[in-house]
Amino acid sequence: MRDLMLSGPGRVVGTTLAVLMLTGAFFLAIGRDPVELMGLIVRSAAGDGYAITESLVRATPILLCALATALPARLGLITVGAEGQLYFGALLGTGFVLANLGATSAAPYMAMIVVAMLAGAAWALLPAVLRSHLGVNETISTLLVNYVAALLVTWVVYGPWKSAANLGWPATADFPEAFKPSTFFDSRVHSGLWIAIGLAVLLHWTFVRTRWGLTLDVLRSNPRAGIAAGLNWRRNVLLTMALGGMLAGLAGILETASIQGRLQANLSAGAGLSGFLVAWLARNHCLRIIPMSLLVGALLASGDGLQMFANVPSSIALVVQGLLFVAVLLVGGYANRLQVRRG
Amino acid sequence: MHVSLAGITKRYGAILANDDVDLDLVPGEVVALLGENGAGKSTLMKILFGFQQADAGEIRIDGRPVVIDSPRAAAALGIGMVFQQFSLVPALTVRENLALGHRCTPWWIGRGARSFAAPVAHLRDIAPEIEPDLPVSRLAVGEMQLVELAKVLNLDAGVVILDEPTSVLTPAESERLWEQVRRIAAGGAAVVLITHKLEDVFACAQRVAVMRRGRMVATLDTSSVTPDALVRLIVGAETVTTAQPVERTADALPRAWIKNLSATTAAGAIAGVDLRIAAGEILGIAGVSGNGQQTLADAVAGLAILLAGEVIVDGETLQAPRAEMPAQSAVAYLPEQPLRNAVAPDLSVAVNLMLKRIRDLPWRSHPSQFDADARERITAFDIRPTDPRATAASLSGGNLQKLVAARELAGAPALIVACYPTMGLDLGAAAAVYEALFAHARRGAAVLWISEDLDDLLRYAHRIAVLHRGRIAGIADTAQATRRQLGAWMVGHSIDVAAEPAHA
Ligand SMILES: Nc1ncnc2c1ncn2[C@@H]1O[C@H](COP(=O)(O)OP(=O)(O)OP(=O)(O)O)[C@@H](O)[C@H]1O
Ligand SMILES: [Mg+2]
Repeated sequence: MRDLMLSGPGRVVGTTLAVLMLTGAFFLAIGRDPVELMGLIVRSAAGDGYAITESLVRATPILLCALATALPARLGLITVGAEGQLYFGALLGTGFVLANLGATSAAPYMAMIVVAMLAGAAWALLPAVLRSHLGVNETISTLLVNYVAALLVTWVVYGPWKSAANLGWPATADFPEAFKPSTFFDSRVHSGLWIAIGLAVLLHWTFVRTRWGLTLDVLRSNPRAGIAAGLNWRRNVLLTMALGGMLAGLAGILETASIQGRLQANLSAGAGLSGFLVAWLARNHCLRIIPMSLLVGALLASGDGLQMFANVPSSIALVVQGLLFVAVLLVGGYANRLQVRRG
Repeated sequence: MHVSLAGITKRYGAILANDDVDLDLVPGEVVALLGENGAGKSTLMKILFGFQQADAGEIRIDGRPVVIDSPRAAAALGIGMVFQQFSLVPALTVRENLALGHRCTPWWIGRGARSFAAPVAHLRDIAPEIEPDLPVSRLAVGEMQLVELAKVLNLDAGVVILDEPTSVLTPAESERLWEQVRRIAAGGAAVVLITHKLEDVFACAQRVAVMRRGRMVATLDTSSVTPDALVRLIVGAETVTTAQPVERTADALPRAWIKNLSATTAAGAIAGVDLRIAAGEILGIAGVSGNGQQTLADAVAGLAILLAGEVIVDGETLQAPRAEMPAQSAVAYLPEQPLRNAVAPDLSVAVNLMLKRIRDLPWRSHPSQFDADARERITAFDIRPTDPRATAASLSGGNLQKLVAARELAGAPALIVACYPTMGLDLGAAAAVYEALFAHARRGAAVLWISEDLDDLLRYAHRIAVLHRGRIAGIADTAQATRRQLGAWMVGHSIDVAAEPAHA
């Protein structure tokens, strides 16, 4: 039993059982048939072509935000700022689009992406500088600036950038076709998914096969020893946080341009937070992050189906997401205890 | 209480850290647990303290078998331990550290627990000069060892385990510690003292237990054994050679100039330190720990921001702080507390051995490519285990020290700053590290050597400077230096017995 719990597959099986039990108990508690609801979740998430593509759509920003969390985590930093970086990327990216509404060629499209990524980086650099030069805790500061970014977006869509064409709905004008990424077949799945998966693989390779990856490992393990060996801790704080911010900014503009077609409030739908949880579930391992984001994306996408067919609020999916993490915590905590005992 | 360990066996992968070990601890008796680095001493005691679980074997207290599956269980049974690697919380004050886990401390103890007197009572006995309201991060290693000891004394334990408590104590501090150890034993406790210093054994142990490569090879009465016989028991068939002093070269060129240096770090401050070291010269720094040694070392090694002064090596001023040193740096640094200051614990031995060369690596690099290089260094410094992929955290205390020496003493540094370079090393390993250090002096490097061990300083250093309250209280040629003179400087008296020019 002990050995089983300590092995990788053992943990996966243990976690799966735990999450099934917790979810089942929750469904019973709200007076529903667990088997029926769980079946419905699976069908709504992956039952047909449409469900699958919607799950992939949902997974894309989560995957990018998870990578945005995993990057600083290679240095031991715990950031929850992907959400705010996503908003800020979407904000400035949209600003660029609104300034170039007449564009038709591909060049402004790329420029929009670059602007959004730089915006995400800039938003991440604020807490990064506080951390590297003043020692301000990055978890708290990233959390705080998240609110600022989200409120900025709310403000522009209710105020200066609100489009009259929307009949009072708080959103900007629709993006012209030139700013929408290509999609696959008839679905809403866009090239962002492949870019995100490619980035995950690239990051993984960078972390395990390059000098930079090794530098981050040393600085995470013992910053003092790393600095004494001539490695630059400050610069790497700025670098990992800025790169993470770029990925979250990319998630923001892709979501805005391709899925929503215009900037509106609440565009992230919690992708930043889900991304943080996914990164943590995958223990910041970039390859493990891929299936984990697909899983969580599918789970969240099933919320709509649940609402429609089972007459439960779609936020049930969020509760199940929460239970998933509780299960991981429980099983991980138990396995760690066993590990400590054996030394 | 009578504790007996029987048939204790513990395996880490391919390494048998403890192999069928028996040991009896009797009330009122001090047992010295001896053995080479990596022999399994700490492992055995961690098992008794419930910090680790044995694979096989039994622990009996007064004849009754007991299960000790956590340090808390051990404490409940009256077993206390001071670990080799410090377990104090650096951000808290000495008093708060002692109050944590003290039985008189109520659950609501806050950060401003000035009023707690009981937890510091023992500390007052053993180290009256340590200010209880100072954060632990400001203490020197020697002082931390004394605080750790006070923490265990507070437990009023029936079994007290001390893992290398004297490794950086000055002779006077050691003496106070021995007195305490004798007192605890006289009070009816059983004491285990792990040490590499034979003085400790003869000063306070009634019995010695010797381990070699995981096995208990002998337990005997201290009175029935001579120091030489003891050394032979510890090293087995190997022969221990002592390091040869380095001849001082006349008219050597100046190599390093620590010019009027002032700096402040979390560990303390130095002011106006001015030292010149010639090529091939070994300059010893003596003094009671906590008088600025660590700050001096950090400042010279380029890890502290300088308030004034500069460090000039081979005519060039070194930048400070040198976050971006040239990788094959002119300065090699063996800091104190290697686990905290010099190694990346969860990375492999191989990576740790080439830490300073990371910046020179090609962009595409994978840790496995360092294995061959690492094997060479591992053999040269006899690091055990010999597996380059083992994580640094799994090394024994002495082997960690060897690891840092192996890394820093590679290449051809112009200046070497060595703090307690043989802390926690067994006789053979200490000789090997001295040899490696002295080989650099013979090659022409300047060596700044901080040590608490006056015997070794008097034997190997060419000159000895004494730090007191962050200033150089005096400096003398070793040939003319007397213990009395050095001792006076250490406590801040400036009687001048051996007049000599300030600079070489
Ligand atoms: N957590 C661990 N994982 C793997 N190996 C370990 C671990 N802890 C100790 N070892 C190995 O067990 C052996 C005994 O280590 P131990 O720390 O008991 O030595 P020691 O006698 O205390 O030596 P020293 O005098 O250097 O402190 C060593 O070879 C060490 O590398
Ligand atoms: Mg040890």
